[in-house]
Amino acid sequence: MLYREAGQFKTTYAADQQLFPIRQDRIGLLLLLAVAFVGVPVLASEYWFSAILIPFLIFSLAALGLNILTGYAGQLSLGTAAFMAVGAYAAYNFQLRVEGIPILVSFICAGLTAAAVGILFGLPSLRIKGFYLAVATLAAQFFIVWCLTKFPWLSNHSSSGVISAQDIVIMGFNFDTPVSKYLLVLAIVSVMALAAKNLVRSSTGRAWMAVRDMDVAASVIGIKLMPTKLLAFAVSSFYCGVAGALYAFCYLGSVEPDGFSLDMSFKILFMIIIGGVGSILGCFLGAAFILLLPIFLDFTLPGVAELFGLPFSNATVSHIQILIFGALIMFFLIVEPHGLARLWQIAKEKLRLWPFPH
Amino acid sequence: MSKKIGDVILDLQNISLRFGGVKALTDISFNVREHEIRAIIGPNGAGKSSMLNVINGVYHPQEGKIFWRGKERKRMEPHMAAQQNIARTFQNIALFKGMSVLDNIMTGRMTKMKANFIEHALWFGRAKSEELAHRRKVEEVIDFLEIQHIRKTPVGRLPYGLQKRVELGRALAAEPSMLLLDEPMAGMNVEEKQDMCRFILDVNDQFGTTIVLIEHDMGVVMDISDRVVVLDYGKKIGDGEPEEVKNNEEVIKAYLGAGH
Ligand SMILES: Nc1ncnc2c1ncn2[C@@H]1O[C@H](COP(=O)(O)OP(=O)(O)O)[C@@H](O)[C@H]1O
Ligand SMILES: [Mg+2]
Repeated sequence: MLYREAGQFKTTYAADQQLFPIRQDRIGLLLLLAVAFVGVPVLASEYWFSAILIPFLIFSLAALGLNILTGYAGQLSLGTAAFMAVGAYAAYNFQLRVEGIPILVSFICAGLTAAAVGILFGLPSLRIKGFYLAVATLAAQFFIVWCLTKFPWLSNHSSSGVISAQDIVIMGFNFDTPVSKYLLVLAIVSVMALAAKNLVRSSTGRAWMAVRDMDVAASVIGIKLMPTKLLAFAVSSFYCGVAGALYAFCYLGSVEPDGFSLDMSFKILFMIIIGGVGSILGCFLGAAFILLLPIFLDFTLPGVAELFGLPFSNATVSHIQILIFGALIMFFLIVEPHGLARLWQIAKEKLRLWPFPH
Repeated sequence: MSKKIGDVILDLQNISLRFGGVKALTDISFNVREHEIRAIIGPNGAGKSSMLNVINGVYHPQEGKIFWRGKERKRMEPHMAAQQNIARTFQNIALFKGMSVLDNIMTGRMTKMKANFIEHALWFGRAKSEELAHRRKVEEVIDFLEIQHIRKTPVGRLPYGLQKRVELGRALAAEPSMLLLDEPMAGMNVEEKQDMCRFILDVNDQFGTTIVLIEHDMGVVMDISDRVVVLDYGKKIGDGEPEEVKNNEEVIKAYLGAGH
């Protein structure tokens, strides 16, 4: 089937404002969802679920959160992992301390807790921008992790703050197999990605982008900078909080504060840089890329090294990984700031005109 | 000109504005009447842009009073200008570079949209119907400015003249009662200037919008404005109908002195 707009005339603004105005995009997305919900569970192995697909979805969600704040609202943050930690520990505590609370409600409360913390650490953004704001969010990163180790109550007095996530039971069904966890995460991430797409195409999203692109003009138009920025921090942290809860409950099972390190925040930042700043699709592309590249290199590098008769060790792999990441990030920052998502879009534009480029 | 000019809606009295030691405006008084086209002219650095920034609350003068529709205005923040139906364009284009023409103009209707972010996220309630209703209004602006063909283009990719037009569109989308235009024709070629002139006159004529206009092109100013204020070094040196101002000794001197 050709990728064409031709013949799909929009006769109403409603049709033009659909989520995915081009029919092939709609069909493509439905196919993708069908594969994800039906095909993958049938075909994939346990290793794929627990080592690749579940973390991929969870990191995509965290990247979504960061992209809302950084890509759409233009506020750089280095505290993503810390907000995930808030979500993870909040969900754990809600399950632990509130009698009979449904797990999904705990996840939502985890998001809301992270949102509240996000608003708090977003306050400096009202006065400072760019680099200085990044430093302020860095403070959030260290402060939150410090709090989680410092106050034993938060981890129910476990040693060094490690928590073990409770069972996930929804309406009597226990989500204890990798495939069931995968489906749960997939459902949550799909719904939240859809909501994010809706947000950014509405006037909420336009207000964020206006503040990002030109704040004086935005305020003259009547956008109040303070609520707009704080809302971005809240929504972003909500996403990160839910991602953190899923990270603890559906991926690792037990987590410690130090697991939500600055490294992880940077990893998520790299996902949106490579995937595409200010793009929903980019979050998924970036997460896939950053998570799959190491696996890919693990598979291929030993072979390549052997081919050239070079000495080889595991340390080499991780060094090469860092080198490649560095190079890619520089490439995207300089050559294509809108990341893989933009490359994909360019490819589609070409395809739309193919085979007659003029 | 035979159009009806109404009462004074904006009255500025003895406005002084300083930035540290720089006196941007000194003791300036003038007023704007409903439905008129009021030009502010003067050499570079005379304080014209500062004057607009005072009107819409971006700058706060140290001295002076501002009356808006007969009531004294207290300290105003920029976003309140929009609520009072004052829209503006900027000397250096201030469009939202990462957004399409359509989205830029849609932002002009922001204050009129009531749905909250939860409705947006779930796309229910007012979110959908509002988006449609305002899209219709925005399309009217797009038609009016004859920019249908670039609707979906990111504004960053447009040539300068069209960007200025989109910026006007964003201001018009708010259906302002007063429109502040800071050098809307600067850097345009003759044809683009003519188009812009036509749009300004049409806006004024069709919608009765009051316009405060900063412009360097004397021909344009004399042609389209009802009254002109002349600033020089932050002081007012002339005020009146174009004919009067043109023959004002001090104005001629200032302009000759500044090499115009
Ligand atoms: N934000 C500001 N900070 C400091 N000085 C300013 C600022 N805005 C304007 N000025 C000064 O005020 C004076 C008038 O500037 P402006 O209003 O831009 O003049 P015009 O628009 O007539 O060219 C200039 O001397 C300018 O340097
Ligand atoms: Mg100026």
